Amino acid sequence: MNSLRVEHAPSQGNIVRDCPGTKDHICCGYKTIDLIEGCALSCSYCILKAYLNTPAITIHDDIPYITSQIDVMTGREARHILRFGTGELSDSLALDRRYKLNRPLVEFFGARKNALLELKSKWAYIEHLIPHLNPYTIISFSVAPQRIIDEEEKRTSPLYKRLKTARKAQDAGCFVGLHFDPIIIYPGFEKDYRYLIEDISRILDMDRIIWLSLGLLRFPPKLLGHYMEHNRKNLLYGEFIRGEDGKMRYIKQQRIKVYSMLYRLLKKKNKGLFIYFCMEREDVWRKVTGMTVKDDDALMTLFDERIKNLYGGKI
Amino acid sequence: MEMKTISLHDIDLNDRRFCISYALEDETLTESIREVGIVQPALLLDASPLIVITGFRRLASAKKLGLANIPAMIKKVRADEALLLSIHDNLGRGLNTVEKAYALEKMASAGFPRQKIFGVMALLSLNPHEKVLGSFVAIANEGKPLQDLIVRHDASMKSIEYLLKLDAQERRRIISLLSPLHITDSLLREILEMFILMKIRKGAVDLKGLRSASDGRDLKARLKKKSYPILTSMEKKFLATKQLCALAPHIDIKVDPFFEKEYIDILLKIKSENDVKAAIEKLKAILEDGYIRSILELTQG
Repeated sequence: MNSLRVEHAPSQGNIVRDCPGTKDHICCGYKTIDLIEGCALSCSYCILKAYLNTPAITIHDDIPYITSQIDVMTGREARHILRFGTGELSDSLALDRRYKLNRPLVEFFGARKNALLELKSKWAYIEHLIPHLNPYTIISFSVAPQRIIDEEEKRTSPLYKRLKTARKAQDAGCFVGLHFDPIIIYPGFEKDYRYLIEDISRILDMDRIIWLSLGLLRFPPKLLGHYMEHNRKNLLYGEFIRGEDGKMRYIKQQRIKVYSMLYRLLKKKNKGLFIYFCMEREDVWRKVTGMTVKDDDALMTLFDERIKNLYGGKI
Repeated sequence: MEMKTISLHDIDLNDRRFCISYALEDETLTESIREVGIVQPALLLDASPLIVITGFRRLASAKKLGLANIPAMIKKVRADEALLLSIHDNLGRGLNTVEKAYALEKMASAGFPRQKIFGVMALLSLNPHEKVLGSFVAIANEGKPLQDLIVRHDASMKSIEYLLKLDAQERRRIISLLSPLHITDSLLREILEMFILMKIRKGAVDLKGLRSASDGRDLKARLKKKSYPILTSMEKKFLATKQLCALAPHIDIKVDPFFEKEYIDILLKIKSENDVKAAIEKLKAILEDGYIRSILELTQG
C-alpha cells in the first residue's frame, strides 16, 4: 500500500449523502460519508472499478465540514434512526491506521447519541480505535469463505482475523455488523458458506451482531467485460441476467435458492439475528423470509425496531 | 519525380515489406484497369530489383490481366521513409482493421519510436494506447482465416479481442464454425462472448452440438442453452405452457425476458363484445387448468 497516490480534496459539495440504492429494489436508507474515495484493497469484483475514474485515493478530512452535514441530515430526519457509513466508496479501516480519520467521527457519534456510525471493512485492524470506541459505532466486516478471500480479495485480512477483530469490538462494548456481500456462486460454495457460518457462530457473540446483510454478486454491465478480460472464473460461474435496474445479477431463481439456504442456516444459529438483503426485490424478500417489506421505508422501520430493541432509550 | 513505364519483370512482386493492403485482390480495380489502364502510377523504391512502396493492388490486378508494363515513379528513400509513404498514401481511402494492423505492426517491427506509432494511431482513429497497439500487432501476426473473418464481418475490436483470447486451436475451430455463416458484428460479438464465458467457466470451448447450426441465430440459441441453462429451461417451460394454453391470436401472455418481474402481462386485442366474452372464457379455462399458476411459478422464482 506504500505506492498509493493519496490526494487531499478541498471541502466542497455533499460529502454526506443518501446511499444511491437502485431502481425497483429495496434500499435500507443508509447514509454514506465519503470520507475516502478509492480503495487500496482492490478486490477483483469491486464496483469502484466502474465508478471511480482515478487510481488515486481522495481523502476528505475536513471533519467539522463533514459533521455539520451529518447534523443537518439527522436534524432533518424525524421518523427514522439514521445509520451512516464510510465504507461505500472505500474500505473504512484499510487506511485508518495511517490517516486516523475515523476517530473524530467515532467521538462525534458517541457524543450526539442520535444516530449510528458503521465502519465497514475487510481490513482487520482496530487497535488504534479501541480506546475511543463507544456503542454508537458499529464495527462491521464483509465476510466470505477463505477461498474467495484468497482468490478475489487478495490484499485483505484473512477471515479468521476479521472475525477475531469483530469479537474484539464486541468485547470493547460495540455491536458488530456482518455483510455477506458479495455472495459468489462457484462450485462447492454451499459447503464453504456453511463452514463460514459455523466459524461466525463459534467466534462471535451472535446476540451482539446488530445486523447482517446478504447480497449476491451484482455489478454494472461494463464490469462484465472487465471480469472476462481478467478471467474471473469464480465471478462468472453463475448465470447472470440484466436486472430491472440495469445491473447484472444472478437469475432470480438462483438468488432465492441461495438466500433461502443462507437465511435458514443463519437463523438456525440465532433465531433473533437481524438479516436484511442489500438491494433486493420485494418478491425475493417475501419468498425467502416470508415477510412483506414493501418499500424502503418499511425496511428502515425494521432497522428502527432492531436498534430500539438493542439500545432501549439510549438513542 | 518522373513517371516511367516499368516492366513487371524489373519489380520484385513478392517483396511486401511496405504492403499494408488487405486483401490484394480487388475485382472492381481489375475491371477498371482492364477498361482504362492504370491511372495512378505505382511508387517504387530504387533498388535492384525494384521494390513496391505503393500500388500493390494495382500491380496484383496488372499481373492478373497479364500486363507487361505499368506506369510508375521511382524514389530513393530510406526504408522507414518508404513505409511511412505507403501508410500515408493509403490513409485517404479508409483502411480496414487488418490494414491498420499491418501498418502498425510494420512500424513496430521497423523500430519506430512509440510516439511516432501513436501519432499514426491517432490518424487511424485509434486510441493511442499500448494495449490497443498490442491487439493490432496480434491481428497482423495472425493467419489468413482470422484476418478474413475480421474483414468479412467488419468485426469490432470487442469481437477481435474475444477471438484473440482463445488459444490458437480453439480460435481455428471457432473461425471454421463461423466462417460460412452470414452474421452481423453484434451477433458475432454475442456469440463470441458466450464462447469466452464457456472457456472461463469450464477451461475449454466445447463445440458439441454447434456444428450443425443452420445460421447465426441458431448458433446463438444453441450456445445460450449451454451458457444459460436455467434461463433457457425456464423459457422452454414458459413456451410449452403457453402452447398448452392454445391461445387465440388476439390473446397473448408475456413475461419479463429474464423472469425478474413477478407479474405477467396478459394482452387482449378486442374488436367486439364477443371478443371480450371469448377472452374471458379462455382465461377462465386456462386459470382452472393451472396454466396461469405454472407461469407465475416461473416468474416468482
